[in-house]
Amino acid sequence: MLEAKNITRLYKSSGRGVEDVSFEVRPGEVFGLMGPNGSGKSTLLRVLSTAIAPESGTFRIGGADGLKERREARAKMGLMVDRPTHYGDLSGWANAYLFARSYGMEKGKAQSVLVELFDYFGLAEYGDDRAKTYSYGMGKKLALIEAMAHGPELLLLDEPSLGLDYTSQLAYQAKIRELAAAGVAVLVASNQVDEVEAMCDRVAFLHRGRLVALGTPESFVSSLEGTRRIVATLRNPVEYGALEGTRDVERVTTEGRDLVVHCAERPGIVAEVVAGLVDAGGDITDLAVRRPSLEDVYVKLTGEALRDYEA
Amino acid sequence: MKLNPPDAYWKKDAVLFFSKRFALLIKMLYPMALIVPVAVSAIPAQYAAAVIGIVAVMAGTFGAGESLTADLNDGILVRVALTPLSPQRIVFEILAVNAILDFIQLLPALLLVYLLHPAPLVWILAATFGVFATLVTANCIGIFIANFTSSPADVLLYATAILAPLIYVSGFFRNQNPTGISATLRDFVPFAYMNDSLKEVFGLTTGAVPFDVFVYPVIIAAVLAFGVCLTGPRLLSPRF
Repeated sequence: MLEAKNITRLYKSSGRGVEDVSFEVRPGEVFGLMGPNGSGKSTLLRVLSTAIAPESGTFRIGGADGLKERREARAKMGLMVDRPTHYGDLSGWANAYLFARSYGMEKGKAQSVLVELFDYFGLAEYGDDRAKTYSYGMGKKLALIEAMAHGPELLLLDEPSLGLDYTSQLAYQAKIRELAAAGVAVLVASNQVDEVEAMCDRVAFLHRGRLVALGTPESFVSSLEGTRRIVATLRNPVEYGALEGTRDVERVTTEGRDLVVHCAERPGIVAEVVAGLVDAGGDITDLAVRRPSLEDVYVKLTGEALRDYEA
Repeated sequence: MKLNPPDAYWKKDAVLFFSKRFALLIKMLYPMALIVPVAVSAIPAQYAAAVIGIVAVMAGTFGAGESLTADLNDGILVRVALTPLSPQRIVFEILAVNAILDFIQLLPALLLVYLLHPAPLVWILAATFGVFATLVTANCIGIFIANFTSSPADVLLYATAILAPLIYVSGFFRNQNPTGISATLRDFVPFAYMNDSLKEVFGLTTGAVPFDVFVYPVIIAAVLAFGVCLTGPRLLSPRF
């Protein structure tokens, strides 16, 4: 459905962008695109959405050449940009209707599909309200509706669930699975690790504009067998540099008040880490030892790529 | 024809124009506030015509340019451009609907002018036509400017730079009896035809022919509209 070959697009001002990225998204597949801020996810989506042209490389959407047959390619895709905007003085319904008709939907069909989607995403009672009165999450849901309504063969979604409440996230994920089951190819750029792990059939990691890994979430996670993640919630911040010197500790990161220790699995490692934390003056209020997840893959890959880059 | 919910880009602009009642009232009143006092006063015909001309030129240029840059900054126009609609068609709809809405704003004031200054029907029609051609031209200029800036303030600046020589060449205030190159250039500016026909409405004989007002500005405005529509892909592309 989507074939991207050797896509390169670098911004002259910053030198950032994407470089030599190739991958494909098959019909019925949910494909995740992950990477830290500035890794090139949004640039890649801008290229694939035909908003900007790549410096080199090609891509096809449902057989249509994304460079030479832009309008055909656009007609086949549903798009949700990372910061969706709407005509604030039009109602949410009018916005969605305008987009549906712009994609060539027939009047009656647009009407019935939008009724269904507004109802599904819980926007039915707000349909007549001006879009500028919508909350951020409601605006996101409206953008999802606009992306899905015309029945695209490919969905390009940039951070789709960011800002959605929990119920809406579940509804969105269920809808994506439903569409994928019906044969729609879905490309999701997201840093919501849980969501990507739960939803995506394959994941690609971007780092500094390059595709550093591509595979199934299961294969990524199983590649980390033998590692553990010790998550310690601390009452006070500590200087944890010394902890990285502990045998078999790979890296230490912080997540809010939590200190996350990525380490090899071996007897006694938890006790050593806890001792190291206590020695550093840490007051542990909660402790968990977790099996590896896609989050660890993310940290490992971006960390390795960073080290390779710096070397 | 149903406008709301809009199923075409131009209908969106029309819905927005008519939906905000207070803003609509102001939009309809401000041309009257500027034009009617001039029409009832005893100022020379050429200056009365010039005031109406300036209002039309400004309304057209700043209307399209500023609303376009606002939508471009907001990102919504780029999103619309990623639908299968052709960028040229979107620009054409923006141009056409803005020119017509500007015309609707000016029409009540124009009708009052015609009421206060009865003139031969052919000149009334020519003046109305000339004002519309001017609005199309001015909107073309506004859209053209939006290709080069995403700042509404810059639109004002660039518009002034483009409009000042055109207004001079058209003979609104100075250069009223041009000769040589100036006279030739004048023939290529639609504002001049509007100016001539408005002067006729106000009772000043200019030597202009109504036929010219019905034909030449249309050709010039059509060429400009075609040219500005070709800028669609550039105009609607993301700016970094």
